[in-house]
Amino acid sequence: MKTRETSRLVIGLVFLFLSLLSSTALADKKVIHVWHTETNPASREAIANIVGRFEALHPDIKVEAEALAWGDLEGKIMAALAAGSPPELSHGQPITCAALQAKGLLQPLDEVVAAIGEDNIWDQIKKVGKFGDHYYGLVHAAGTSLLVYRKDLAAQKGLKPPQTWDDLLNNAKELTMDTNGDGKIDIYGLTIPGDNLFINILMGELTKANGGILFDDQNRPRFTDQTMIEILNFLKALTQYMPPGWEGHGYRETFANMYGQKAAMMYQGYGRGASLIEEYAPPDMANTDYFDVWIKPHGPSGKQPAAQVDEEPWMLFKDCQNPQEAIEFLKFFYQDENYLEYIQTVPIHFFPITKSLRKSQAYLDTPMIKKWKGWLEVQEYYLDNDLVKPTLVIDWQDMAGKPYLMEILGSGILKDMVMEVTKEGVPPAEAAAKAQKKAEELVKDRGYAKW
Amino acid sequence: MKLSPPQTGILLIAPSILLIGALLVYPVFYGVWLSFFKKHSFFAEQQFVGLANYVYLLQNPEFWMSVWYGTVYSVSTIVLQIVIGVIAALIVNESFQGRNLVRGVILFPYVIPTVVAIILWKWLLNNQFGLVNYLLRAVGVIEDPVSWMGKDHIMTSLIMISVWEFFPFVVLSVLARMQTIPPTLYKAAQVDGAGPIRRFIHVTLPQLRNVLFVVILLRSIWMFTKFDTVWLLTQGGGAEKYIRTLPVYAYMRTFMYYQAGLGSTLAVIMFVILLVTTSIYFKMFRREEEI
Repeated sequence: MKTRETSRLVIGLVFLFLSLLSSTALADKKVIHVWHTETNPASREAIANIVGRFEALHPDIKVEAEALAWGDLEGKIMAALAAGSPPELSHGQPITCAALQAKGLLQPLDEVVAAIGEDNIWDQIKKVGKFGDHYYGLVHAAGTSLLVYRKDLAAQKGLKPPQTWDDLLNNAKELTMDTNGDGKIDIYGLTIPGDNLFINILMGELTKANGGILFDDQNRPRFTDQTMIEILNFLKALTQYMPPGWEGHGYRETFANMYGQKAAMMYQGYGRGASLIEEYAPPDMANTDYFDVWIKPHGPSGKQPAAQVDEEPWMLFKDCQNPQEAIEFLKFFYQDENYLEYIQTVPIHFFPITKSLRKSQAYLDTPMIKKWKGWLEVQEYYLDNDLVKPTLVIDWQDMAGKPYLMEILGSGILKDMVMEVTKEGVPPAEAAAKAQKKAEELVKDRGYAKW
Repeated sequence: MKLSPPQTGILLIAPSILLIGALLVYPVFYGVWLSFFKKHSFFAEQQFVGLANYVYLLQNPEFWMSVWYGTVYSVSTIVLQIVIGVIAALIVNESFQGRNLVRGVILFPYVIPTVVAIILWKWLLNNQFGLVNYLLRAVGVIEDPVSWMGKDHIMTSLIMISVWEFFPFVVLSVLARMQTIPPTLYKAAQVDGAGPIRRFIHVTLPQLRNVLFVVILLRSIWMFTKFDTVWLLTQGGGAEKYIRTLPVYAYMRTFMYYQAGLGSTLAVIMFVILLVTTSIYFKMFRREEEI
């Protein structure tokens, strides 16, 4: 009995000693907290590998990387800022970066940009995080939205790439098919996600593609403009060719509609979806002979296509504990060898921000990049021609000039307007007027109204 | 120093009072206080606006729509939970082979985490590939797939999922009470010629009165303030606008519009609504000698 008690005491003391030892060892190290949105196992593993190599080079630094779901990130950042304990680094929406920069909550990343080489970064990428003469955000990778379509079905119907929204409507109509002759539709022309984020992305894209704006220089919403009414009418017409209940579909469900052969076009596709197609579509169909991308069409008042770019910048927070160590980590992250490992985890969606990596043979030899080449070329076309912008950003000046876009996105005002028109039969002008009123209230409440 | 009995008493309850004050009273009063401000949710920006938040919300159609959705949701789920819960309790109160297994299975929805339940149901209710539509079509109940997460059916889906998730609480409470009803009451009723239905109406139901009073009260409060089930159902797809109940609207105002003042105002209004309805409920159904 006595021996057992003694052993327990010894074990307890050993545990206490070890935990004290480890906490002391940790206390000696500088800790960098890194929040990112890449929750898929391959990307997490790549980040863990990069962190491991970085820590081996810097024994005095500990990197705590945490993968967070998209929806959780902004709230967590805000709560951490309010509590005065932000992480060193975090991903965030470009409009979040703009909002935080406007409030003076970020530190510049100029040193990281200099280490990469400013000329080595795509011009489009530089516009995302540059405010004044400084970079307050640096994109981890870019991926533009894509109009994915069933190439085999389009060829059967003799369809051409849509140049205008009317062309797209026509293609959607042609691709809405009863394939087994039972009088019921088996494949719908087009699928889009109905959730708030993607409707906001869509509305930003359509506004750009129709030559409109969402907010004017006085920050007044322009939802009642003719360009917006045209968008709402277009969406109303388009929903005829979309699966019933589309408003309840999330992003992944729309991809399921594509690879599950329930829809022939997907307006809000992304390169990430190529992996889903490879995983879930019938093996003989998981290639660009069946799933390819068209350049998006423009609206009646627009002249050129527009798409959204998913390019979350890294942000370095002002009140963080170890900013210099975080800068060193980012420099290490963007080194070709490390960055390539990260990019290759989602190769069709992670378009590298550095021109050198894009041209490198190691990158070009990635099997998926060879297989889905066309998908990347369309993204490069958008990026090269400045046809893509972050969510709700119509013009690059919006990034610094409209720091309330984050709240507009979160509020669901645009989504409610779309739902009222497409699902409730509210006339576009009426729904737009209602949304206009709500957005005006929000902008006034935030103190940005100049009208 | 020797403390007098009253001093000892005060000393002993002081920690509890401190805890209640810090964790309950302060947040509640701070919430009420915030409702009189225009305040950013995370930044130190605030401005006293008096009753403006209340006036704004009471004139806002979105607020009234949320009240309506919340009422439809809570009333429907409470009625269904009580009816199904009492029926299930009656069944598992009888003796039959495998009764313990059935009791365990009935509890299952209540013990699994809400997030798991919602993922499971969203998969089952998927309109293109879901099992529910497949089965309904297989047995000829429907011809075309139902869009369970779409505008027309999302409230039905939410009610169905919530009833499935929470009716075991009613079963547990009612069953516990049923097991304490003296068998002699049933025997006496039987001698008087009462059949099963009359025994239920004249013996079981009166005996369940107190427990049902408490269960309805608790479930009403919990369903009216239910957030997680509603919110999770619309994450990653789901026609959120059509099940935007008051707690969801309060969350949106606080964490998506970043209007903490309006969010607090909504919380205070919810509290007042619950206070008033609970008072009416007590007035109508409470019998002093029994509670």
